[in-house]
Amino acid sequence: MMSPFVADGLIPLAKILAVILYPMLMVIVMIWLERRVVAWIQGRVGPNRVGFQGILQPFADAVKLFFKEDIIQRRADRFLFNISPVLVMFSTLLAFCFLPLGESIRLGNYTLDLWVARSPVGLLLVLGLSSISVFGVIFGGWASNSKYPLMGALRSVVQVLSYEIPVGMTVLTVVFFARSMDLVRVIERQKEAGVWYGFMLPVSFLVFWISAIAETNRAPFDLPEAESELVAGYHTEYSGMKFAFFYMAEYAHMVLASSLVVILFFGGWLPPFPNVRAFAFLGAVPGFVWYLVKIMFFLYLYVWIRATFPRYRFDSLIRLVWKWLIPLAFVNFLAVVALRYLL
Amino acid sequence: MAFKEIALNMGPQHPSTHGVLRLKLAIDNEVVLSLEPVVGYLHRGMEKLWESLTYTQIVPLTDRLDYIAALSNNLGFVLAVEKLAGLEVPPRGRYIRVALAELQRLASHLAWVGFQANDIGAMSVLLYAFEARERVLDLFEEYIGARLTVHGIRIGGVPRDFDPEFVRKIERTLDGLPATIRNIELLLNENRIWQERTRGVGVVGAAEAVDFGLTGPPLRATGVRWDIRMDVPYSSYEDFEFDVPLAEHGDVYDRYLVRMEEMRQSMRIVRQALARLPGGDFTAKVPRILRIPPAEVFQTIEAPKGELGFYIKSNGTDKPERVKMKSPSFINLMSLAHMSRGNLFSDVVGILGSLDIVLGEIDK
Amino acid sequence: MSAVGKFLRKIFLVDILTGLAVTLRYYFSKKVTVQYPEEVLPPPERFRGILRLYRNEAGEPLCIACKACQRACGQGCFDIEGRREEGAKTMKPVKFDWRLDRCSFCGLCVEACPTDAIRFSREFRMSGLGRGGLVFGHEAMYVEGDDLQARLCGEGCP
Repeated sequence: MMSPFVADGLIPLAKILAVILYPMLMVIVMIWLERRVVAWIQGRVGPNRVGFQGILQPFADAVKLFFKEDIIQRRADRFLFNISPVLVMFSTLLAFCFLPLGESIRLGNYTLDLWVARSPVGLLLVLGLSSISVFGVIFGGWASNSKYPLMGALRSVVQVLSYEIPVGMTVLTVVFFARSMDLVRVIERQKEAGVWYGFMLPVSFLVFWISAIAETNRAPFDLPEAESELVAGYHTEYSGMKFAFFYMAEYAHMVLASSLVVILFFGGWLPPFPNVRAFAFLGAVPGFVWYLVKIMFFLYLYVWIRATFPRYRFDSLIRLVWKWLIPLAFVNFLAVVALRYLL
Repeated sequence: MAFKEIALNMGPQHPSTHGVLRLKLAIDNEVVLSLEPVVGYLHRGMEKLWESLTYTQIVPLTDRLDYIAALSNNLGFVLAVEKLAGLEVPPRGRYIRVALAELQRLASHLAWVGFQANDIGAMSVLLYAFEARERVLDLFEEYIGARLTVHGIRIGGVPRDFDPEFVRKIERTLDGLPATIRNIELLLNENRIWQERTRGVGVVGAAEAVDFGLTGPPLRATGVRWDIRMDVPYSSYEDFEFDVPLAEHGDVYDRYLVRMEEMRQSMRIVRQALARLPGGDFTAKVPRILRIPPAEVFQTIEAPKGELGFYIKSNGTDKPERVKMKSPSFINLMSLAHMSRGNLFSDVVGILGSLDIVLGEIDK
Repeated sequence: MSAVGKFLRKIFLVDILTGLAVTLRYYFSKKVTVQYPEEVLPPPERFRGILRLYRNEAGEPLCIACKACQRACGQGCFDIEGRREEGAKTMKPVKFDWRLDRCSFCGLCVEACPTDAIRFSREFRMSGLGRGGLVFGHEAMYVEGDDLQARLCGEGCP
């Protein structure tokens, strides 16, 4: 019998710490992973000097950024300039509160839920919170008081806003099947259905994945922040720890997007073939391990795609979403609804 | 928010390589209105310097002009000197020169495709292309000791013979290259993003290209069939069988296709040269102090970047009176303004890359 | 390719998947990186490293101070003076100054030398902490290996 002190005090505190540390840990892993995987794809080795196989490289980067001079333009809007990295980071981290990490664990009488908060509209909250980061981008671009970051910020904002639409529409198809916006319920419904939604709704998954890449400003949709283009993006004028925040927030956003894909389309913590007796042995592996494995797969996919493809030009990017992805998502939704009622 | 015409400066230092080049752009809401290149940041006074050096001493300095394709510069210059001096290079020397020049063309185009892909965002292609280029540079290093400032073609012939083992090494390298080139093509040719970024971008018509004096792959990408190796052959190029790739639209994509095919043709030429290598001397006898009676000559070759020309005026001494170099990059760069007008300014980098310029050649 | 084929290739993302397959193959390939300075690839035989003077088997310097290298050099790297001892068959250099900071590694001096006295070594480590180490006197032209590194660094060598 667990004392109320632990159940209502210590465990929630631990969960809050976890929801801060887990994305940060994933960011650290991602920094290392990205550099190593991109290097391996290019026939190089990647960082391997700082610590065993270079695993301390992210710490070296963090220390370097920490000691860099914090430069603020004389005519920059100081308040907005300082608050933008915080906004971007804060909104992303807050969204992690609603993501379930695995199945609830029974410890005697007490059920340990592997999430900080569960809401019947968890999905909506996550999508909404991750959109707040757009404010950080606009503030950052504006506060820099420079033409090019402003243009980069505007482009980034247009990109993110445009790609929210296919995200919303494809997520609707999932909600349609799961009859709920509660993320935990979505996973449970996939278990009941016996198949991950990604296989039932491949077009939704594809459109969602492409939009997720565009949402996180990653290649091939990373024009607003690409180095070989003129405008280096909204974080041009940032240095030191503030830049580190933008950098980490981008990776955290990637982890968030991957988590969403896994939860909505790939069964969250479910093993493959969740209801099939022949594969029941896969259930011996705990749920959160499956979850992490799947997230790592999508993070690998992010990096793999970045290392392979050229960059979309901004107008092609916008044309792609408005002329192709949104109509496709819309038609997909109608088709899913129609097929569900006809079959 | 309507932007008026903004003046934008792509300064001498910018992330898209190609050297120290300044571009003054005027853009209106992303569309390029005008473009003015400012060159001279790498000017080293080569042509003046050469007036105080003997012909033999000038040859190693020509390496530093188009530093991506050193042997081509060597070849251009020594052909001009030999024409002036009336020196005849023996057949074996001529065939070795062809092999070296075509290997250099391979290396130059590989570097080009790497940079072009990197500018447009496909960063892995840069590494793949450069790894392949390294294999070719290793051949040069084995031949004469240097990868970049090769100095591997001299007045009268070549500095060293090709022994059978080296010929085998070249052939082995050539066997391994098509796979890498194929990988690069699989990554780029049909890729929808690559096509969106390069098709219809930086278009120049055939007549305009000729008016601008464009040469090399940018000219052949518009459909004009002009290749000095075919049309005014030098150094026994007439003995070899090869095709000159042409395209029709004159955009960045076509220039890319032309250069990729040229790589294959270069490999073909090298194989022919090695297979039919004649016996005999690999160099002519050149006097230690080469004095050339007063005359003038203008000799052009098909360098990887375009038509490379050397005008030399001799005055009876062992040093030239005047050397003037016609660099293809300098002429090609002048058409950049025309090509960029009307395109988005994010395309300027791609168009500049497709011209394949080297500042060392432009600024001398 | 037919229009239908092209359309199908477009919607099934064939070009995207082909590109991903290429990079995946490279991901699992053997990496060509050499971990310098722990592993050092030896330069090829004819590599143009730093110029050195050499001695013959008996240990005598090969240089006969004929100044062919000085005349061949286009950059003015050499300053040589020679003298013939009484009864000696050839001249010996009294002063042989060579400047690393002017050398363009073209090899004209090596080709000009009638006795093969001056040749390229395979030493590519030529960095130092001051300009003093870049001018070599006669004795310094025979120094190789770690002694050469120490000489290039000068007093600032760690």
